[in-house]
Amino acid sequence: MFRKVLIANRGEIALRILRACRALGVEAVLAYSEGDRESLPVGLADEAICIGPPDAKRSYLSAPAVISAALVTGCDAIHPGYGFLSEDEGFAEVVAAHDLTFIGPPAGVLERFASKAGTRQLLGGFGLPTIPGSEGMLRDDLHALDEAERIGYPVLVKPSAGGGGKGMRMVRTPRELESVLRVCRSEAKAAFGDDSLYLEKWLDENRHVEVQVAVDRYGHGVHLGERDCSVQRRHQKILEEAPTPALSDAARADLAERALKAVVAAGYENVGTLEFLVDRDGNFYFIEINCRIQVEHPVTEVLTGVDLVTTQMRIAAGEPLGLTQADVAFRGHAIEFRINAEDPDHEFRPSTGLVERYHAPGGPGVRVDSHLFTGYEVPPYYDSLLGKVIVWGPDRATAIARGRVALEELVVDGVITNVAIHQALLASEAFLDGKMTTNLLDRVGSAAFLAAAARA
Amino acid sequence: MSGSDDRVADHAAIDRLTDELLPALIAKLGATNLGELEVRQGGWRVRLRRPAGDPGPVRDRKSGDRKAGERASSDRSERGPDRSSERTPRTLHRPLEARTARTESRTVATSPAVGIYRPRTDLSAGARVRAGDRLGAVDILGVAQEVVAPVDGILGSSLVESGDAVEYGQEILVIEFSPTTAPTNGTGG
Repeated sequence: MFRKVLIANRGEIALRILRACRALGVEAVLAYSEGDRESLPVGLADEAICIGPPDAKRSYLSAPAVISAALVTGCDAIHPGYGFLSEDEGFAEVVAAHDLTFIGPPAGVLERFASKAGTRQLLGGFGLPTIPGSEGMLRDDLHALDEAERIGYPVLVKPSAGGGGKGMRMVRTPRELESVLRVCRSEAKAAFGDDSLYLEKWLDENRHVEVQVAVDRYGHGVHLGERDCSVQRRHQKILEEAPTPALSDAARADLAERALKAVVAAGYENVGTLEFLVDRDGNFYFIEINCRIQVEHPVTEVLTGVDLVTTQMRIAAGEPLGLTQADVAFRGHAIEFRINAEDPDHEFRPSTGLVERYHAPGGPGVRVDSHLFTGYEVPPYYDSLLGKVIVWGPDRATAIARGRVALEELVVDGVITNVAIHQALLASEAFLDGKMTTNLLDRVGSAAFLAAAARA
Repeated sequence: MSGSDDRVADHAAIDRLTDELLPALIAKLGATNLGELEVRQGGWRVRLRRPAGDPGPVRDRKSGDRKAGERASSDRSERGPDRSSERTPRTLHRPLEARTARTESRTVATSPAVGIYRPRTDLSAGARVRAGDRLGAVDILGVAQEVVAPVDGILGSSLVESGDAVEYGQEILVIEFSPTTAPTNGTGG
């Protein structure tokens, strides 16, 4: 196991990784930007080192700054978290070249799965049905229009370099496509330092179901079930749950087993997630693989009792998985609510400010992953995720009931949050019936959800 | 002067420093937030530094006292005083108090990157510098990034040593405002 790990991320995931380091008895160094000097993970880490100004390109996205920080503090591994450099195979290579371990898939594996089109082809060859999409990255607007014609509208414009909804737009006509390309490129550039785009066929009324896997260096892998991430606003997940209400038990098992088989055969290593779209007939199509820990990983953790972050670290350290599929048990139902600094009454525009009072809910079946504290000044430089409230219950109804209580108890005074939309979802028929689709919120409009909840 | 006369004079000077100057300096360092104090007396220069890992009156979690490539011992007891009491919830909610060498009469040149500090060998304390002058470099993965003077002034003491690891924004060199230069608001670099 590593002796000392550099955590090259911020906010709630930096805290999560720090906790995993503590669980393994590993020392943790927090690499932070000036914008995060007063943050909770910086305050809690064994050591902290400032690597740059608030601008992510000169701090969290700067490979030299991150690697230099790991070297001068005597670390032997780097955990990249999610976003930022977490799936950058060039970064993983340079990390290895400096005799440090990148906690995630090795650079060669990241490279193999780097191309979205290439991965669809690769995993398609191993038995997964795949979503139609553009071949390679879009060279220019003309190429984009040609590919969209070939695939067939509606299409989804997606950035190659990362996820999280940034740089993504769904379009139904060539005119719409032309108008979004520029904004998608600039969003992608800002979020990932790379403005390459590709296209995917969009299925109306689709659900997003993803399968969590963990594969060790020796080719032994397990799946840890699926997560339903169909509650989205502008292609950004805001609520996730498991098991998925969209598929029968048999279909869920089939999906997970096929996903695991394909990804092991294709040579994947470490913790990862395969994303699928499920159409209204229950057919699933592979869209992409996320070669990192994801925001919504706690949903799987509370369902299975498996610590996914320590699993990442153990696999990267060369340990065998130590789990067979029979060892993975699924109990009950879990739901995660992403708490964002956003104003639901004003187009979810980002809010900042001083958290005058913070109180996290607790009790049976309630977990909160957050870097908030009373007195914390939410910086304006980064994404709006303040934390996650995860609830578990022996069944979906109990999880929902606990969710209502937990969201009511949560206090974040001084900064506007999106809690109201979660409360509205928990009061909406579409969600309660398990029938959310990925663009339902956008089609109906969040205002309608909020208003309906207010009337109830 | 013969060699032995030199030695006698040296010993007398050292005795004076030890008996009078050092206790006062130690007390002063302990009472302030400074990481280092340097005093010159005649041909003597005395520099006191806080030991690596010593938090002083406020929590210092910079890694600036570490030499390049040095890996921390895996034995936690060797890392200095037990700081577990500093991780109580109470201290988390207090912003880290800025520990700075800046005063009304001086400012600092700061590190442009996280890496290893290398001073200019041809510059020493007392030299006049102009804003933008290169005072040294920080090596970040083999690329040298310049440490520059933020204002015109007189080069003062160095807060880090050659080969030390430094973080982004760390205070590296003191620049005294020269008498002919109106002090800035003191924030400099």
